[in-house]
Amino acid sequence: MAARRVPLVLLACGSFNPITNQHMRLFELARDHMHSTGQYQVVGGIVSPVSDSYGKQGLVLAKHRVAMAELALQSSNWVTVDEWESQQPDWTETVVTMRYHYGRILKEYERSVGMHNNSDLSPQLKLLCGADFLDTFKIPGLWRDDHVEELVGHFGLVCVSRGELQPERAVHESDLLSYRRHNIFHVREWVKNETSATEVRRALRRGLSVKYLLPDSVIEYIHRHNLYTEDSEMRNKSAVLRPLVKQAQEPVKSLDD
Amino acid sequence: MEGHSITKVVLLACGSFNPITNMHMRMFELARDHLEDTGQYKVVRGIISPVGDAYKKKGLIEACHRLEMTRLATESSDWVMVDSWESLQPEWVETAKVVRHHYEELLAAEQNIDDVDTIKYAKKRRIEENHHKDRDDLQLMLLCGADVLESFGIPNMWKQEDIAEIVGHHGLVCITRSNSDPHKFIHQSDLLWKYRKNIHIVREWVTNDISATHVRRSLRRGQSVRYLLPDSVIHYIKEHGLYSSESEQKNADVVLAPLQRYTGASSS
Repeated sequence: MAARRVPLVLLACGSFNPITNQHMRLFELARDHMHSTGQYQVVGGIVSPVSDSYGKQGLVLAKHRVAMAELALQSSNWVTVDEWESQQPDWTETVVTMRYHYGRILKEYERSVGMHNNSDLSPQLKLLCGADFLDTFKIPGLWRDDHVEELVGHFGLVCVSRGELQPERAVHESDLLSYRRHNIFHVREWVKNETSATEVRRALRRGLSVKYLLPDSVIEYIHRHNLYTEDSEMRNKSAVLRPLVKQAQEPVKSLDD
Repeated sequence: MEGHSITKVVLLACGSFNPITNMHMRMFELARDHLEDTGQYKVVRGIISPVGDAYKKKGLIEACHRLEMTRLATESSDWVMVDSWESLQPEWVETAKVVRHHYEELLAAEQNIDDVDTIKYAKKRRIEENHHKDRDDLQLMLLCGADVLESFGIPNMWKQEDIAEIVGHHGLVCITRSNSDPHKFIHQSDLLWKYRKNIHIVREWVTNDISATHVRRSLRRGQSVRYLLPDSVIHYIKEHGLYSSESEQKNADVVLAPLQRYTGASSS
């Protein structure tokens, strides 16, 4: 009897400042990989741009970042952009965003399948990220320990890297991650592709071409609204990243927020 | 009005384009930005010239498909276009000949713009004269990756006089990345060093390794190649069932055309 697959949705959180072909590749690679395990059926992908209150240097307005992601994903039949996170009044912790989306996905699934669903085949939501993401867990004050546990223990990570061993090493060097390594999926893109939003912004500031690094429609949008200039890159220059401030103030809360 | 004049440049890329990828298209953009940044050049056109089937490279699929995929990829570009001349030749054509052909076509087109004279004979003579007298204000440069530059060193791959013609009479724009050292390669070759002023090295700070080999491999394995090449090209590939294990075996036991032609010939 053929094994039934767990329906899986991939969520990517980030600045998407701007979205690039490389971001969209992450979804494609992750989907192929999770399918090939034989255990999952990827049924959706969500791009969730961070809110303006994140305070990262060079971050342009969320409404633009969402619009660009929409343009980029127009031709995709399974990945969509969601603006819930970007519309929250304050920066939202990644796990809070995940809980929100998981709640929606579960509700939708129960509605379409009825109440007979086998709990083994409940849909799952995993966080899709790049290799450098695992290293951010080490940055003091950026993550709460209980959030990391919920993220990798309860939800799970799909981490796309370019063939280097750094992600495995990051897992190995952290007791928490190592304990949950069965829930961290490593996907390799053997093609070295360092196209990053940072490089794209750099090229735009210098009047250089970014064609074929992101969709034409997004490039047009950028030029029409004159985004990504020397001034835009200076935004938030002296600000402290919001998570570092917010999490320093709060006492540790339980899972049942 | 500035004292110095700006040289018009046409970039020509030869290769298999099997299939064309976003990386190929990026090369043109990088080259144009680099040349125009010097203030000496204005890049007016880009030409992609897919190699003919007679090249006999392993896994090379029919030229008609490679031409159409390239045409689809260039649709969104207002300055880069595909040219079928090379692929339509019955035998494999040396790159120097392709360069020569396109340069002559360029000159002829410029002549048509310059002259009021419509007498065919006089025009033909002028074209022949200009073949030996390179114009200062118009250049055709060969656009390539570091691997092509380094292939100049592979025995029997290139005729020395062809290399001399390309870098001596025309020019080379070489896109390279952090892990290769084209300057060292140029330094170690007397021929290249002699014409180093005509060799423009464009450093690609952001490594973009989307090779056609990788794309073909992914396609064979049923993996997604989305966002590595234009959607229209992916659609074409699926529609025509290109790039399978069978197609990759084509020419597996055949010798590459240049090696076949030059092996045994005395070195110049």
